[in-house]
Amino acid sequence: MAVKEILLYPNPLLKEVCAAIGLWDDSVDTLLADLVATMVDAGHSVGVAAPQIGDTRRAVVVDVSKSKLGKKQENHGLLQMINPQIIEREGQVTVREGCMSVPDYTGNVLRAEHIVMQFLDQDQQLQVIKSQGFEAIAIQHELDHLDGYLFLDRVSSLKTDLFRRK
Amino acid sequence: MNHFALTIIGRDRTGIVSEVTGILYQIGCNIADSSCSILGGQFSMILIISHPELKDQHALTQAFTPLEESGLSVYLRTLKPGGEKHPDLQGEICMISVYGADKPGIVYQVAKELGERQLNITDLNTKLIGKKDTPVYVMMIEAVLNPGIEIEDVEGWMIKLKNEMKIDISVRSITPVEL
Repeated sequence: MAVKEILLYPNPLLKEVCAAIGLWDDSVDTLLADLVATMVDAGHSVGVAAPQIGDTRRAVVVDVSKSKLGKKQENHGLLQMINPQIIEREGQVTVREGCMSVPDYTGNVLRAEHIVMQFLDQDQQLQVIKSQGFEAIAIQHELDHLDGYLFLDRVSSLKTDLFRRK
Repeated sequence: MNHFALTIIGRDRTGIVSEVTGILYQIGCNIADSSCSILGGQFSMILIISHPELKDQHALTQAFTPLEESGLSVYLRTLKPGGEKHPDLQGEICMISVYGADKPGIVYQVAKELGERQLNITDLNTKLIGKKDTPVYVMMIEAVLNPGIEIEDVEGWMIKLKNEMKIDISVRSITPVEL
């Protein structure tokens, strides 16, 4: 288990589509442990995706239970996810996001309010969970990293404007 | 009602907004549209203001003398009738994110592609972020798509630029839905 350096944009690894993990060997356990250690070390972080530590495999960890916003809401605590997929989305919510890989910048991003997702957990068990609120937002943000998307690609508005009617 | 465009900029400090709006209130000006932000170390204010009687730009300018004396730059322009009205922009709105290692010409090259196709940019902001040795340029553009133009068309126009300038560009619709 090691704390890794968080890669910063324009590191090209952050724009790669990550590969699904087929064979589960020791390196997968190490990757998950490193992701958790890195997330914990970066005190303000609620999630880290593998490409952020230079590994382009589909793995993310999320834990909103220690954050000011997340601890007030229902959440799953530490989630270690291999090959995660969102299989249902519902509702829309705009949230102002930032990212450790793009420091000093934030933007309004439109996310699904409720999601259902499936993944393999740290014990190689298939899990299907429902998530909502801040945890769902964090999961969507981290999963975007696995497809080479940064929140910059999701910014939905520069300003509040009058409601436009078609 | 007479309308004016007022621009104020100066090194950021507390109290600028209250000083400016205090003067506007005292002389009886209304603030119609405004946008204020910190750019670099400067606080900048752009306001469309109106006054029911005052037509003389000079009289207004005089009221702003204390602001000039406190180190702010003030510029006032009288708008022609109708100049205060927001244009009725029809069409889908798109957001274009442009970011990459900082290099000259990012804003110009993207704006040129859009301008040549008569796309109306309705909002744009840029920021230089990243580390000193690896500066990253970020630009967000809101633009209105002309009839017949799709998001995919805009994406297509940007492909060459992405490759030539080695920057990342993504385009998406942000037209609000009416529920």
